[in-house]
Amino acid sequence: MRFLRATYLVLAFSVFLVTSSALAQSPTVTVGSKAFSEQLLVGHMLALLLEDGGFKVNNKIGLGGTALVHQALVAGEVDVYIEYTGTGLITILKEPVQEDPVKVYDTVQRLYKERFKLSWLKPWGFNNTYALVIRKEDADRLRAAKVSDLMASANSMVFGATQEFVVRPDGLPGLAKHYGGLAFKENKSMAPDLIYDALKNKQVDVISGFATEGRIPANNFVVLQDDQHYFPPYFAAPVIRDETLAKAPAAAEVLNRPAGKIDDGTMAVLNYEVAGKKRSPEEVAREFLKAKGWIK
Amino acid sequence: MSILSYLLDHPAQVLALARAHLWISALATGIATAISVPLGIAVHRLRIVRVPALILVSVGQAVPSLALLGLMLPLLGIGFTPALVAIGARALLPILLNTYAGLLTIPPSVVEAARGMGMTNAQILWRIELRLALPVIVAGIRTALVVSIGVATLAAYIGAGGLGDLIFQGIAMVDTPLLLAGAIPAALLAFAVDGLFEILERGLMRPLV
Repeated sequence: MRFLRATYLVLAFSVFLVTSSALAQSPTVTVGSKAFSEQLLVGHMLALLLEDGGFKVNNKIGLGGTALVHQALVAGEVDVYIEYTGTGLITILKEPVQEDPVKVYDTVQRLYKERFKLSWLKPWGFNNTYALVIRKEDADRLRAAKVSDLMASANSMVFGATQEFVVRPDGLPGLAKHYGGLAFKENKSMAPDLIYDALKNKQVDVISGFATEGRIPANNFVVLQDDQHYFPPYFAAPVIRDETLAKAPAAAEVLNRPAGKIDDGTMAVLNYEVAGKKRSPEEVAREFLKAKGWIK
Repeated sequence: MSILSYLLDHPAQVLALARAHLWISALATGIATAISVPLGIAVHRLRIVRVPALILVSVGQAVPSLALLGLMLPLLGIGFTPALVAIGARALLPILLNTYAGLLTIPPSVVEAARGMGMTNAQILWRIELRLALPVIVAGIRTALVVSIGVATLAAYIGAGGLGDLIFQGIAMVDTPLLLAGAIPAALLAFAVDGLFEILERGLMRPLV
């Protein structure tokens, strides 16, 4: 009898200890990201910055495509992820294209707050815009430097992109319309990180790559200039739930540490470490943040 | 019904993707049949072939389909061919096992009687054994084809197209009608194939009853 009572007391005390310590700990922030390599990198950067700021981080990095991660954020399954201003404007908000980066940022900041109770923190500095990319030998042969230069030969070229790009309003459908019926011989859709090898191995001839992709310079690919200004700016910034900011206001300061300080070139180098040299995104993120002095 | 909206608005596109989908599934299953039936006969005849054959074929079964597709990338790149190999790899085991099992059901007395009648080994195999084992073998091919139709939806990940493209597009945009425009036809294809094979098997069983 005495043994049983002692056991109950010990159990009750342990429960008390655990719950009180849980309440005393700092709030948990859930970090999400999309599934391609740059997103994995910046997702880990978000997580590492928050941990450095004393927060507990729940990792949902590599969740899925744009719409999926956004829905998770709105539903509260994710508290923060890195989004691109152009994507927010066109794919999420379904607003018309604008070219001025400041206007685009102001629009997404205002409308995200109104419609979703989400806040855009400060952009980190790089503009990961979509870029039509071709092999150097084709660029030389067709004397192509701009997207418009492709119009004549597009119908003999195979286009490679993600399923998302093929169906997004700011992706292929809009591109084809904007460039006066640009149509390729065939469209092949695949997972995002496969398109660069597919271009290298001549299985596709044109891809919709990312401007900060390190594999573009590494493979001597040519980025075609968007001469008719189809793509909006895609500056990357953390998007966070207002509810999370209310519970953890210090998170904003921590996540704004890289603000304006990561340019396209830097991001491309970091991306290549992961996608080209096959290093772990978490390791590359940690190394970079430490080198910059943004985490201990 | 609004969830069927994409399917009903784009019949030509869906039909074209369904044809490509069925083609890669059927071709992969056909190639797997051409490999697994002879292999099954060998496994039935020669004990030493049994374990290596089973190991070889189990790889296609045990490795998850998406991983199989990924493994093809450094060897065969993206598109139709690597997807064909990955889908076919998955189809090998059911056909092999059913060929072996089908041959096992034949009573030795039947084979002895045939030998007594003066038939050669080749004649026994072709006219007696395979014919008697056929319903079971066909059941194996049926399973393999139905599974292949499912596995083929993943092939869109490595650029092989098919109904998987619509499914992946639907997932990317969290667009249920778009997703279903890929998933429903894939399910219908599987049902239709299963039904056709049911009829075929019944037809094959009749002479034996």
